[in-house]
Amino acid sequence: MKKLTFKINRYNPDDERRGHFMQEYEVEVPSGHTVLDCLNDIKWNQDGTLTFRRSCRSGICGSCAMTVNGVNMLACETQALALGTDTITVEPLRGCEVLKDLVVSLEPLVNGLYAVKPYLIADAPPPTDQERFQSVEERDKLDGLYECILCGACTSSCPSFWADKEYIGPHGLLKAYRFIADSRDTGEQEHMEALDDKHGLWRCHSIFNCVEACPKDLNPTRAIVELKKKLVKGKVG
Amino acid sequence: MRVIKHYRVHLGTFAWILHRLSGLGLIFYLLLHIWVIGHLAGGKESFNSIMEAFNNPLFKFLEIGLIGVIFYHLFNGIRLTIMDMGWLVEKQKPLFVIFVIVWLISWFAVSGVMYMRFFGSAAG
Repeated sequence: MKKLTFKINRYNPDDERRGHFMQEYEVEVPSGHTVLDCLNDIKWNQDGTLTFRRSCRSGICGSCAMTVNGVNMLACETQALALGTDTITVEPLRGCEVLKDLVVSLEPLVNGLYAVKPYLIADAPPPTDQERFQSVEERDKLDGLYECILCGACTSSCPSFWADKEYIGPHGLLKAYRFIADSRDTGEQEHMEALDDKHGLWRCHSIFNCVEACPKDLNPTRAIVELKKKLVKGKVG
Repeated sequence: MRVIKHYRVHLGTFAWILHRLSGLGLIFYLLLHIWVIGHLAGGKESFNSIMEAFNNPLFKFLEIGLIGVIFYHLFNGIRLTIMDMGWLVEKQKPLFVIFVIVWLISWFAVSGVMYMRFFGSAAG
């Protein structure tokens, strides 16, 4: 048990005059409690008006991505005591419009994702009425790609995204490569359509904030580099 | 409505910010260079007088700094190209450290030679 101070960004759209401000809460944190547990503790026992997104509390849904002590992470996967600071600063995701307290608008991220058609495109029906087969080697190529839970931690940390809200973003580009690398997918052209654009691949300046931010330890820059290579090879012949 | 636009700085961000700043510096130098060379159109007198204006220790030191900026942009550009070719993307931080060492060594070596050229004969 340790007493920690949570400094949390507050913003109520119905109280524009007050604007954004940081509010402090003291929480008794037992060993093993995550940042999300602490936020729940505050909401349930201290201040019911505190607003944040959460759903699965087990690192699958990606709802609770937020900026804790200046770094993007999933609140449900981060143990509060492991952060090692007595004061924990919790802010909404960077580069996104704040709707209320810790809730941001994810619309630009969703638009970026839709631009790459993030679903399996196949020109033929499955060979059996059950599944499309894939060898173990072909399946291995999807490791480091399919694990993305679309929490938005990468894109909201990306300076290119801050400058261009129409940028597809590392999450969209990683998802595009996830389907392009899939042996069952035949719609490479359709996934690539939106990429060769000023809001597409070429916005990436290899800053690597996305790699730092990803709570699943994925490497969107690797996917972006592979896509760049594919695009250039397709053009040069 | 407020949008926060900053993030914890790590080596990758640092490399990028320096790359941008050195790029801007080089554009500034290029414009200055074109302006100076433009004096050639005004004949020998005009060119000699502008070259005379730059012939002082301040500009000599700035030239040594310019080499540092060029070398940084050059070596980080090579680092970015290597990664865009698909190599060492996962090793971007060690790669940056190696290129910073190469950058500093070559800068010091060249600036030593330049210093001797600029000030060596004057001292002797």
